[in-house]
Amino acid sequence: MTRISGAWSSHDTVVLSVKMAAHLSYGRVNLNILREAARKELREFLDKCAGSKAIVWDEYLTGPFGLIAQYSLLKEHEVEKMFTLKAGRLPAADVKNIIFFVRPRLELMDIIAENVIGEDRQRSQRDFHILFVPRRSLLCEQRLEEQGVLGSFINIEEYILDLIPYDGDLLSMESESAFRECYLENDQTSLYHTAKGLMTLQALYGTIPQIFGKGECARHVANMMLRMKREFAGSQNQILPVFDSLLLLDRNVDLLTPLATQLTYEGLIDEVYSITNGYVKLPPEKFTQKKQGEGGKDLPTEPKKLQLNSAEELYAEIRDKNFNAVGSVLSKKAKIISAAFEERHNAKTVGEIKQFVSQLPHMQAARSSLANHTSIAELIKDITTSESFFDNLTVEQEFMTGVDTDKVNSYIEDCIAQQDPLIKILRLVCMQSVCNNGLKQKVLDYYKREILQTYGYEHLLTLSNLEKAGLLKPQTSTRNNYPTIRKTLKLWMEDINEQNPNDISYVYSGYAPLSVRLAQLLVRPGWRSIEEVLKMLPGPHFEERQQLPSGLHKKRQQGENRTTLVFFLGGVTYAEIAALRFLSQMEDGGTEYVIATTKLINGTCWIKSLMDKLEAPPF
Amino acid sequence: MTVQVLIDRLVFRRLYPLAIEICRYLKIPEFQGVSRVLKHWACFKVQQKEEPDDVIACAINQKLGDTASISYSEIAARAYECGRTELAIKLLEFEPRSGEQVPLLLKMKRSQLALSKAIESGDTDLVYTVVTYLKNEMNRGDFFMTLRNQPVALSLYRQFCKHQEQNTLKDLFNQDDDHQELGNFYVRASYGEGSVEARMAALQNAVDEFNKAKNEFSAKATEEQMKLLRWQRRFQEEFDKPYLDCSLHETVHSLLLDSKHKQAEQLYKDFRIPDKRFWWLKISALAEKEDWEELEKFSKSKKSPIGYLPFVEICVKHHNKYEAKKYVTKVTLEQKVKAHLAVGDLEQAVEAAIERRSESELNLVLSRCTPTTDRALLDKINSARAGALKK
Repeated sequence: MTRISGAWSSHDTVVLSVKMAAHLSYGRVNLNILREAARKELREFLDKCAGSKAIVWDEYLTGPFGLIAQYSLLKEHEVEKMFTLKAGRLPAADVKNIIFFVRPRLELMDIIAENVIGEDRQRSQRDFHILFVPRRSLLCEQRLEEQGVLGSFINIEEYILDLIPYDGDLLSMESESAFRECYLENDQTSLYHTAKGLMTLQALYGTIPQIFGKGECARHVANMMLRMKREFAGSQNQILPVFDSLLLLDRNVDLLTPLATQLTYEGLIDEVYSITNGYVKLPPEKFTQKKQGEGGKDLPTEPKKLQLNSAEELYAEIRDKNFNAVGSVLSKKAKIISAAFEERHNAKTVGEIKQFVSQLPHMQAARSSLANHTSIAELIKDITTSESFFDNLTVEQEFMTGVDTDKVNSYIEDCIAQQDPLIKILRLVCMQSVCNNGLKQKVLDYYKREILQTYGYEHLLTLSNLEKAGLLKPQTSTRNNYPTIRKTLKLWMEDINEQNPNDISYVYSGYAPLSVRLAQLLVRPGWRSIEEVLKMLPGPHFEERQQLPSGLHKKRQQGENRTTLVFFLGGVTYAEIAALRFLSQMEDGGTEYVIATTKLINGTCWIKSLMDKLEAPPF
Repeated sequence: MTVQVLIDRLVFRRLYPLAIEICRYLKIPEFQGVSRVLKHWACFKVQQKEEPDDVIACAINQKLGDTASISYSEIAARAYECGRTELAIKLLEFEPRSGEQVPLLLKMKRSQLALSKAIESGDTDLVYTVVTYLKNEMNRGDFFMTLRNQPVALSLYRQFCKHQEQNTLKDLFNQDDDHQELGNFYVRASYGEGSVEARMAALQNAVDEFNKAKNEFSAKATEEQMKLLRWQRRFQEEFDKPYLDCSLHETVHSLLLDSKHKQAEQLYKDFRIPDKRFWWLKISALAEKEDWEELEKFSKSKKSPIGYLPFVEICVKHHNKYEAKKYVTKVTLEQKVKAHLAVGDLEQAVEAAIERRSESELNLVLSRCTPTTDRALLDKINSARAGALKK
């Protein structure tokens, strides 16, 4: 399998064939190059397995793959059928090749072995291949050998898909368990993939001259990057660097931000409905077209699926705003669109009419977009105006400002008593613990007991995991540094302006995400000014420089912004992304950001990844 | 005679410097030219028995430098074949690609070094490979010892065992005297057991381990769970209904739904359920079975630790405004407005809000007004708000 070599240059022609990928080119860095490189690799592999094919998918991969290639591309390369990887026998399909697209996991190898062994050689003569995503594994191949099927495969390759472009300024590995693996299980496999992903990125976009980082994992990734660079010593990367610097941040440097309820439009959509691979599924009732004379028609039961990315003009405009500022934008938009449609009365000449008609598709798209987002905003508003949302937010903000973080909170007690969803409770108690640098043993034990008695003893291991991850732990002898950190980094800003913000704290209506603040301060005035605070946060902080071949140093124009890649190791929230975009847009901010992460998260799925489900067989 | 053949012949005759000069002069690409010659030279060099390892390794490194297209591991392999293991290891130090280093080290039976190098590379797949190799080569005791000295390898092996070999996991934890993890192990194991007795046995093991780990909370919580299972088994036998594996909360709730008040009280005392939580539990169960009489009796039994607004709200939730109104009078002043609103008494709510002179409560009332609300009432609210704002 050819690796993505350093021969690519950003001047290569890029085919913007698929409309859905257009949004990747809008940003400062053309991420379409990455996507096209990935598509090319996929095509090459498919062609290697000549003839008609069926793909057997590891279900987990279908989502991320959808961002790289649609079925149409696969069809072009003779993929006739697609199946989900399941135990037992393979379904019948009259194809020459069966290709397994899988992650390198031992459990999946067992299933594949079962599939291969169960193949009736009398009835069909299908060739078998495996494509490991994102890379091969000796361990897995050993397992296949143990099962006696390794020899049955003609092509065994790896498809190096680490960083997937989600939007013009956003890359994600969609590695669900990265945080858990790194911080709970001391398994740094995902960090290895991260380093590899960054090497691929550098092969396409040039060596990144400066690497900054904070955290143990950040240090580990940087070390691996430098080491991997040595492995390629001798083949110098001649591409003019697109990125000026890379900032690696451990998630555990800022455990607070993902626990808080996000208050941007996109953040709230994710909190309530969950955005997956750039799509969201919504309750269909608000999206039915009300046609005349069709009263009493059955409402659709299928959820409404919408794609959310910056290719949609209106969405790009409102996604990062504080939700309270969205309403006015929508009503303004409604007026503009109305006025545009009214223009048809003013079109008198044939030329004018022709022009109006040519604009129609764009206007209709805008109107449909407006209708969708008005509906979504209504759905969200129902939730944000509810008493429970308000009460929850109030307690969150009390904790963030350091109010009563050392006592048992009566709102949390009442929520437990009324059996509110467990994850809501866990987010709140973890937040209290983080803001207090751990809870007094008595308080901690009280909460834990309440949780076990109410939700069941089976959550004992989850509580143990949360403690190990540092989210819900007893107070140690060290004092609570959080108030100092909060004051020095100005994490809590009173008097924020939600409509026209002047600071990143608008994304949580007052709280500035610690992680983004660190990024902000790195640029100006630099981390030396917050040395003391940095020491209070876990893990080392460092700076590394990578040699560029002479002549490749960027000559920056006066006033031209630098480009920084911020990589969140362990997950990033949409609110943090909004905050970084805000910084990018600031006048004389000096830097524009591209964001990368192991996974796009919100508090709910993040905590879920740390839970251990224990279920008993029925007695 | 092609250039390639020329170079080959020169190399064969060990005329290395000449070969290199020619390559350079003819500008042959590194891979086919200089690098290839150097590799042959190096392979030859390692066979020179007279010179000590250090000298050879140094000399080779000096000549080859960091040239990417040369595989140090190939040269090292050659040295190993000639029986010069130490030299091979020295040469391998220069090999930047751990994927090449490690397999050769394993071949040379330098497994500890292979493990260190694998860990250094960060490639967990490589680490797994070495660990698997070690597992097959060493006896258990030595194997565990090796792992103990390499925390990264140990963690990865634990991961592997968790999914593939659960029993080994237990032995690993035992080896390390990791009582906390052993406790967790038994808790997990208990959920795989099919009978209550087996469950209890596993849980007792967990308690013992947690105590050894000085984890008081988990030990006590597990003991409580065992106690709960005993109660649940009794109830299940007595009342012929499923109780096992519910949480304590759900168990009490179930009992109350079945009017088993005495048993509910027993659990309340035995598990020291906080008053507030028990009251929430009881009123929600009573309202669910629409036992309004019992609810009223309960509300009068003593002063409610959760106030009386919950009573109002729970009745409303179960569509009984009549009952709800009974509790409105008992609600504290601060909650009067909410209580009136809950039962739909807009007028009373307005009165209460005005009396309280609370702007936020007036706003709350306003937010509940609909287009059909009485005009006079709206005016009353608005003028009160204006009055409150002036202050």
